[in-house]
Amino acid sequence: MSHEMMGYNAAMGLALVEEMRRDDSIFILGQGVATGGWFGAEKGLASEFGTDRVIDCGISEAFEAGLAAGASIAGMKPVVNMGFGDFALIAGDEIYHKLAKWRYMHGLDVPMHAVIIFPIGTMGGAGPEHSSCTEVLGMHFPGLKVVVPSNAEDAKGLMKAALREPNPVLFHSVQGLGWSRGDVPLDPEFIVPIGKAAIKRPGTSLSIITYGSMVPRSLEAAEALAGEGIDAEVIDLRSLVPLDWDCVLSSVSRTHRAMVVHEAAKTAGPGAEIAAQIQERIFFDLEAPVMRLGARDFPLAQHADLEALAIPSVDAIAAMARELAAI
Amino acid sequence: MSSLSSDKLETMFYRMALARSIERLIQKHTREHKFSGWWHPGEGQEAAPIGATAALEDDDYLWYQGRGSAWALGKGMKPGPILGDLLGKMNGATRGKGGGVPHWADYSIGVMGEGATLGSVYPLAGGSALASKIRKDGRVSLANFGDGTTARGTFHETMMHAAAWKLPLIYFCENNGLLVGTRLSDVSPTTNIADFAAGYHIPGVTVDGQDTVAVYEATREAVARARAGEGPTLIEAKVVRRRGHYSGDPQNYRSESEFDDYRDPLDVHALLLGGNTAARLLEEAEADVKAAYDEAMAAPSPDASVIERDLYHVA
Ligand SMILES: Cc1ncc(C[n+]2csc(CCOP(=O)(O)OP(=O)(O)O)c2C)c(N)n1
Repeated sequence: MSHEMMGYNAAMGLALVEEMRRDDSIFILGQGVATGGWFGAEKGLASEFGTDRVIDCGISEAFEAGLAAGASIAGMKPVVNMGFGDFALIAGDEIYHKLAKWRYMHGLDVPMHAVIIFPIGTMGGAGPEHSSCTEVLGMHFPGLKVVVPSNAEDAKGLMKAALREPNPVLFHSVQGLGWSRGDVPLDPEFIVPIGKAAIKRPGTSLSIITYGSMVPRSLEAAEALAGEGIDAEVIDLRSLVPLDWDCVLSSVSRTHRAMVVHEAAKTAGPGAEIAAQIQERIFFDLEAPVMRLGARDFPLAQHADLEALAIPSVDAIAAMARELAAI
Repeated sequence: MSSLSSDKLETMFYRMALARSIERLIQKHTREHKFSGWWHPGEGQEAAPIGATAALEDDDYLWYQGRGSAWALGKGMKPGPILGDLLGKMNGATRGKGGGVPHWADYSIGVMGEGATLGSVYPLAGGSALASKIRKDGRVSLANFGDGTTARGTFHETMMHAAAWKLPLIYFCENNGLLVGTRLSDVSPTTNIADFAAGYHIPGVTVDGQDTVAVYEATREAVARARAGEGPTLIEAKVVRRRGHYSGDPQNYRSESEFDDYRDPLDVHALLLGGNTAARLLEEAEADVKAAYDEAMAAPSPDASVIERDLYHVA
């Protein structure tokens, strides 16, 4: 089947179109989705599927997420674009209680389809309340699945998996990668399964465990390190819930050194959990402590330069890897 | 005059009697610590849920708030799974995961469940109503809540959209004037919840919540409007919270004189039944609740495997 070069957000949009054609219980709502979406992922949906299935809402995130939960419980397959990951907090009850817990607390083993799109991370000056990486919240409230694609191909494949998943999925699209392009399969059955990590670059010296915006940066750092005799393995987690522990642990057991890199704030970020589990589960395979690199623990500044200084750079990733390799 | 048949009036009374009997049982056994103290008594408020649910079909969606048991019973749930849950037994609707703050659900009869974070059912009911609108399945969604819960932002967010989109949604408020010990008048510009309807350009109706038939008629009209695609209705039933906020609440914020004009909803409804019908149905309900209680007491307690059930669905 053929491929086409397209942007990350367009690839998400392609998955939506394909699945909405296949399954008329899928509908999408959010602010501005009927007019193409803030980041273009929903471009053209309203003209093909009509405003019964592509629904614009007012500024009411709790309502939008709660509406999705209710429609999902009633057997539909809603998709909500929340605009920004930060707004998870406005709709916290609806996402982390209702979507995550409804079926469990009512003791029901029934499907519950819902995809919440959370654009996360920095994009060059969006400010402290429009740039947060909120994916760790989804890890903390059992009942949800949590994905973060790092490239256009995965954006399509993971979105397709999310739309077919009988459990609520928090789909974190990476704002900083929104216009990055990739070679995307046009096969409508192309799916990237939820819970399967990808080894983006095999290596023997150490394992860089990462996801989202830090995947391309880690790969760039790994290329720079290769010239210095450090052969870094780069793992793109793709899903945080479920997390592909087999891939992570077997990699670290081979390389004996691990570092976790993410754009989310370091303290109590996803890396804290990943590092802790590596040490709990394969301590004797390690030759060095598991290291973590995340955003500095400050709100992000509006100024794009300050923002860039607060999150891990290619140089910072490479520097930590050198430090880790030298232990 | 009401369009209710005598059969229907009897079923309604029987369900009210089930609810009353469960209330009394819980009050009795809370003192013996067999029930969790989280129970919010619904005694005295049975007419509103029974009258409203009588106007719904089995496949209409009910999202309840959870004072007492009458909403679930009115929609057709049996005492067995209700008492099983309250006692934390395997035969309960949730096998002990719900319980004191009830999470009974039975999707086959449109009992969709409760969110214990009050105000969460507004958008959920909006969601099922939107699903019905998209599928054109003719179902109506009813969200039940207390007067105190009108302070939630989700009340406004949902009704604003539901009115604009003409969703088949009914907001059903049981206005007992109290949120725990706080008077509604201390926190709201109006004590008539139906007043809020004007802002959404939808009908707002106030009914006597001690009178099942009045509640039934108001709900029937709202259901007809919803099914005809005319959009939401806000119904306010003026009710009396006969007991404490929770079982064991000393209620030192109230005085007995509040109940001078109190009319028991079961007495009001009994007048509509002929002969000894009310007495017979009360007895029947009590016996059925007693049997459900005995069965629950004999049922096994949940084991730790229950903790791992129902988190994810495997297709
Ligand atoms: C969001 C939320 N806030 C607070 C509570 C605690 N709470 C439980 S019942 C209740 C009072 C509810 O009052 P009202 O809505 O009038 O219903 P009523 O108790 O009168 O039936 C409160 C504050 C809660 N469960 N959820």
